Amino acid sequence: MALSHIFSWTFVYDFIRGPMVWIAFIIFFCGVVFQVLRFMSLLKEQPIKKLTPGPGHFIYTRTASHLPMDRGKTGWFKKGWFTKGPDKKDPNKKDWRVWLTLSIAGVNPFMTVVTTIFHVLLIGLPVFVLGHNILLDNAFGVSMVSLPENVSDFLTGVVIFCALIFLFRRLFLDRVKIITSCADYLFLSLAAAPFVTGYLAYHQVFSNYKLLISLHILSGELMLMAVPFTKFMHMIYMIMVRFNVAGEYSFGNASKNW
Amino acid sequence: MFRKKNTAGVNSNEIRAILNEKKTKMKLSLKACAHCSLCAESCFLFMGHNKDPKYMPSYKFLHSVGVLYKKKGNVDKQDLGEMRDLVWERCVLCTRCYCPIGIDIPDMLALARRVCRSQGVYPQYDRE
Repeated sequence: MALSHIFSWTFVYDFIRGPMVWIAFIIFFCGVVFQVLRFMSLLKEQPIKKLTPGPGHFIYTRTASHLPMDRGKTGWFKKGWFTKGPDKKDPNKKDWRVWLTLSIAGVNPFMTVVTTIFHVLLIGLPVFVLGHNILLDNAFGVSMVSLPENVSDFLTGVVIFCALIFLFRRLFLDRVKIITSCADYLFLSLAAAPFVTGYLAYHQVFSNYKLLISLHILSGELMLMAVPFTKFMHMIYMIMVRFNVAGEYSFGNASKNW
Repeated sequence: MFRKKNTAGVNSNEIRAILNEKKTKMKLSLKACAHCSLCAESCFLFMGHNKDPKYMPSYKFLHSVGVLYKKKGNVDKQDLGEMRDLVWERCVLCTRCYCPIGIDIPDMLALARRVCRSQGVYPQYDRE
């Protein structure tokens, strides 16, 4: 193969929408499996002495929702279920109003909403975009349910807007600015890049559609490959830690330590 | 910013040995920190000091344990002195700090304290 061919536009375009996609997905899945196994090898069962109320050993269960107590069989998110108000019949249940006020959603509601929307759409939206499903259908004959194009277009705008809010926080809010490094801007750009390029390509803002769509594919691939090994690792870390490591803020019956 | 290090009185090997004990957990935690600052309000000292960002839990561990791992334990007395202010004066290890991702912030600050203590850098209230 001649060198001029390797550096030709057609070759690059074919490469990033062909083998590169496979490479990105393989690195992503293998990396995630590696990190999950690594986490699991670090975690060990923590022998927790279960607290049991008894004579001379009173436990006020209303404030002990986080403590290792034998509550029978409980599922995820059911570590002390909620009740409507303070007049509770079951002392094991939490008052959801107090819980909400003290939670991060009560303390910082704006960021909770923005960050939730951003992360849900970041992961969920690409799966339901019509263009992606057509590609899947062409390649494998299978596809997911697709959102109408105007809806996915609007939601892409929402993701970009959320990313801009993050950027402005980093630039202008003292408490974020003080802990921000260059890597934070880089990874924020990398997270937003597939959406920005996809949006520009869909609206054909620039005449060179092929270049934009190539950048769209490339940025998506780079992001996928970066997930298991960079700051994006918080995606895996969050699930592994909060569902497995015992603690006040863990989900469900997490009982391990590391 | 670029000052000459004076490592006299600091045993870097001892620091490295302490850091290596929890290397995997700490490095993963430092990497996972998204620098979101949502842990700020969970610190009562942050709230009590007019929301001074230097009291944020993330600021405290990034500038103590973060620096120790970044410099691989090659720190001098001045670095440790700065860390002393962070981990003793600006943190009481009440363990109330909250990270949405699940980072064990008190464990990180406790490690920084341990490193400082191993080098004789800690508050001596009877002398100060």
